[in-house]
Order: sequence, then C-alpha cells, then structure tokens
Amino acid sequence: MSARLAAYPGVPPLIACAGLLALWELAARVFQIGGLPPAHAALAELPRLLADREALLNILDSVRRMAVGFALALACAVPVGLLMGRSRLVAAFFNPLLMAIYPVPKAALMPIVMLWLGIGDASKTLVIFLGVSLPLVYHAYQGARAVEEKMLWSAAAMGLGATRRLVRIVLPASLPEIFVGIRTGLVLALITMVTSEMIARQSGVGNILFNSLDMALYETVYATILVIGAMGFLLDAAFERLRARLVAWAEPERAIAVGTT
Amino acid sequence: MIVIERLSKSFETKRRTAPHLALADISLTIADGEFVSVLGPSGCGKSTLLYIVGGFVQPSEGSVTVGGAPVTGPGPDRGPVFQEFALFPWKTVLGNVAYGLIEQGLGRAEAEAKARALIALVHLSGYENFYPKELSGGMKQRVAIARTLAYGPSILLMDEPFGALDAHTRTGLQNELLEIWERDRKTVLFVTHSVEEAVFLSDRVVVLTRSPGRIKAEVRIGLPRPRRRAELLVDRRYQTLVVDIERLMDRPEERP
Repeated sequence: MSARLAAYPGVPPLIACAGLLALWELAARVFQIGGLPPAHAALAELPRLLADREALLNILDSVRRMAVGFALALACAVPVGLLMGRSRLVAAFFNPLLMAIYPVPKAALMPIVMLWLGIGDASKTLVIFLGVSLPLVYHAYQGARAVEEKMLWSAAAMGLGATRRLVRIVLPASLPEIFVGIRTGLVLALITMVTSEMIARQSGVGNILFNSLDMALYETVYATILVIGAMGFLLDAAFERLRARLVAWAEPERAIAVGTT
Repeated sequence: MIVIERLSKSFETKRRTAPHLALADISLTIADGEFVSVLGPSGCGKSTLLYIVGGFVQPSEGSVTVGGAPVTGPGPDRGPVFQEFALFPWKTVLGNVAYGLIEQGLGRAEAEAKARALIALVHLSGYENFYPKELSGGMKQRVAIARTLAYGPSILLMDEPFGALDAHTRTGLQNELLEIWERDRKTVLFVTHSVEEAVFLSDRVVVLTRSPGRIKAEVRIGLPRPRRRAELLVDRRYQTLVVDIERLMDRPEERP
C-alpha cells in the first residue's frame, strides 16, 4: 500500500491537505467560534479575493518588495560572506557585528526604521533585506571557508589572480551552501514581509490580512492566510527547480560511471 | 632548471611554543627534463617542499629559482597535481581540462579541441561530459593530470598523486605517467612515500629524514628507459635499489 502510494509523489501531500481541511471544517462546526469560519467558507472566499483588483495589487506590492529586498540582500550578503570565508581579517571584522544582529527579530526594527524612512516601500524593503541577509552571509561564509585549498592553488597555477579566484572558483564552489542560505532566506523574507506590513499598514498581503481582521471579515482573513501559504509553497517549489538545475553537479551520485580506473 | 638553496620552513604552532620546524636546510638542483622523486616518512615536510617550489607556500629561509628567476608565487610554468585531485566539481571533464587554456585566452573551440586531445592521451575519451563526482579516483587523477598538462607547464609538481588510489590503479597510472613523460620529458618533482614508485619512475631519488626534513641521501637511478614494470620487477638492479633505499630510510638519523 505505502509502496504504491509512493509511486505517485503528488498523492500523499494532497491527502494531507484534504485531511487538514476536513479537520478545520469539523472543528469550526463543533466549536462554533466566531473567529473561526468553516473551511468551505474560507475556500469560497478565495476566488473573490483573487478576482479583486485591489487585493491583487496588494499582493503584487508585497511580492515586489520581497523581490527587491531579496535581490539587494543577495548582491550584498553573498560577496561579504565569500570574503569572510577567504580572509580571516574580514571575518574578524564582520563576525561580532553579525552575532549581535542575528538574534534581533528584524520585524521588531520596523517601528525604528519607519522613523527614518517612513511607512512606505523603503522601510519594508530594508527590513526584508536585513532579515534575508543574515542567513545568506552565514551560508556563503561557511561555503567559502570549506573550499578546498588545493583547488584554489590549481587555479592560481593557471594564472587566476585573487579576485578572479573569488569569482570563478570560490563562488561556484560555495554555490550548494549558498543555496541552503537562499532557501532559509526565502522563508524569512515571506515572514518579514507579512510582519512588516502588519506594523506599517499601507499595502500588501499583510495589509489585507490585518485590515480584514480588524473588520471581523474572518473568511477573508483565512483566505489570505491560504494565499500566503500558497505563495510560500510556490516560491519554494520554483526555487527547488532552479537549485536542481544549477547545483546538480554537487548532488551525491549513486553509482560511479563505470568499473574502469 | 630548479635550484633550491638552503631552504627552511617553520610553522607557527597553536600552543605558542617554539615554531615547528618542517624543513631544514634543503639544497637541491633539478636539471631540465629530470624526473626527481622526494621520498620520506609522512610528516617529513616533503609535500611542503613541493608547495614552496610551486609558490603556494612561502619559505622561512632560503630561496627557490626556476630558470634563474626567483619563485614569488604560483605560475603556469609549474603545474601541480595533488593527491586530492582538486578538480572543479561544477565543471565537466572537458570543462576542467579546457579551464587553463581558456584562462590563457584561447578561444573556446580551440581550447576544447586541445582538451579533447589530452583527454584521449589519458584514455578518457567518451567521458568528456561527465562530472567529477561520476568518476572513480583513478579517472579523477587522470583528469587532473590532463588539466595540468593542458596549459603547458615545463615543470610538473606531483604531490603523492597516486597515494589515494588502490594498488592496481596505482601501477596502471604509474605506467601511463611514464609513457606521457617519455614523449616530452618535462621536469618532474614527484613526492611519494613509496620506495618502489620512486625507483620505478625516477632518474634520481632524494630521501628526507623524519621531521624536520633534511636531505638524508640522494640516489641516482641508472635503470635504462623506457622502463617496463614487468621487466624491472625481475631486474637485480631494480631490486637492489629498492632494498638499499628501504634500508636507508630505516637507518637511524645522525643528528647534525
């Protein structure tokens, strides 16, 4: 039975989803809580939410800020992490700084950042940038530190200078580890995005969510949560496809090509 | 010609005691086209000596010159081959071998044509599009040798290149290395801890003492070339050389 199920990779998650919805439906009917509409009501609200121009613009705003914050973080954090991994001086400079920033919940900085940059895009993008940067720096650092010395020596013998070695050897060699950081970063970006929009309501998915909560539109609240969940799922799936393409060379191989030496 | 003069290397230790002396007072001259092996127990600094000639590690004292010019860093005139292979895992076999050529400014088509010829030389035709992870240890080392030969170094620096391979693969690659070497007679500095390997391959064997590494003896290997393994194994001269060098290595060291 389990073997037959495993043959259809899409089936077990579908069963899990259906089970969760059924449980939700049951709980809503049994407990009759005002803030917990039954699953079918929230699902029925979904098409209305997704057909609403206003709501779509809000979602688009969120995605745009997340993309900009993420791209900026990639552009800054990866070079810093790689340099830290290859230079003890750079690592000694940045390490205490990062250790101090790491435990601070980035969304909690939102009120302060709003004082500097207002409640618009800039402060939310900055907070997403901060949230995503740390795992990216950390994993780029770990990746660069683990690069085999002899590989760099081989490149040096071919005539690659220090900068070229960083870009052409250290970066690709660290890519599998950087992708681990990107995956963590994507989840953090989504969380920080919603939280920042909760604190500074102006537009975005978080804005819909918390405004409908204030207006006791619970069907919309739950439909929005489903949308956020779906966004996370789609982002992760898209990312996994990209990762599989780019770092297939690093995946452990089950069998060696042939028996010859 | 490689000239190593009064070379010493010491490393800072973590415990902040006196620095650890790895190599002491090494002087050695290697002629163009000569195959020289450095033999010694593990930890004697023989690999460090090779790294210094490669320019990857700086000496504490003394100097190395190659063709009269002092070594200040790595360069394409000295091609390393490491025990760890050190292939670029994100590149295919073809990409690895062509890497140095493209780096030297060759067009992609020309670099790949040259790389294919070298891949054929190391008997890996058909594996051009394989990634390193798909290859066995012996195949990886062949790729590494082809990758180094590709950019045309006049000196090969081989750091226990067959040390991680099983005995059968090892003797196979020794034969292939000699075949390749017979063609263009590059200068080779070959580090190993196997006496048989050193005698089979070399014109001269330099034996180092246990740490710190000093030159204990130099043995000229006058065996005729081209050498065939099967003939050498039953050759008295080969057997005597192996036994003599093994005795030499076991002999306690006189303190200078």
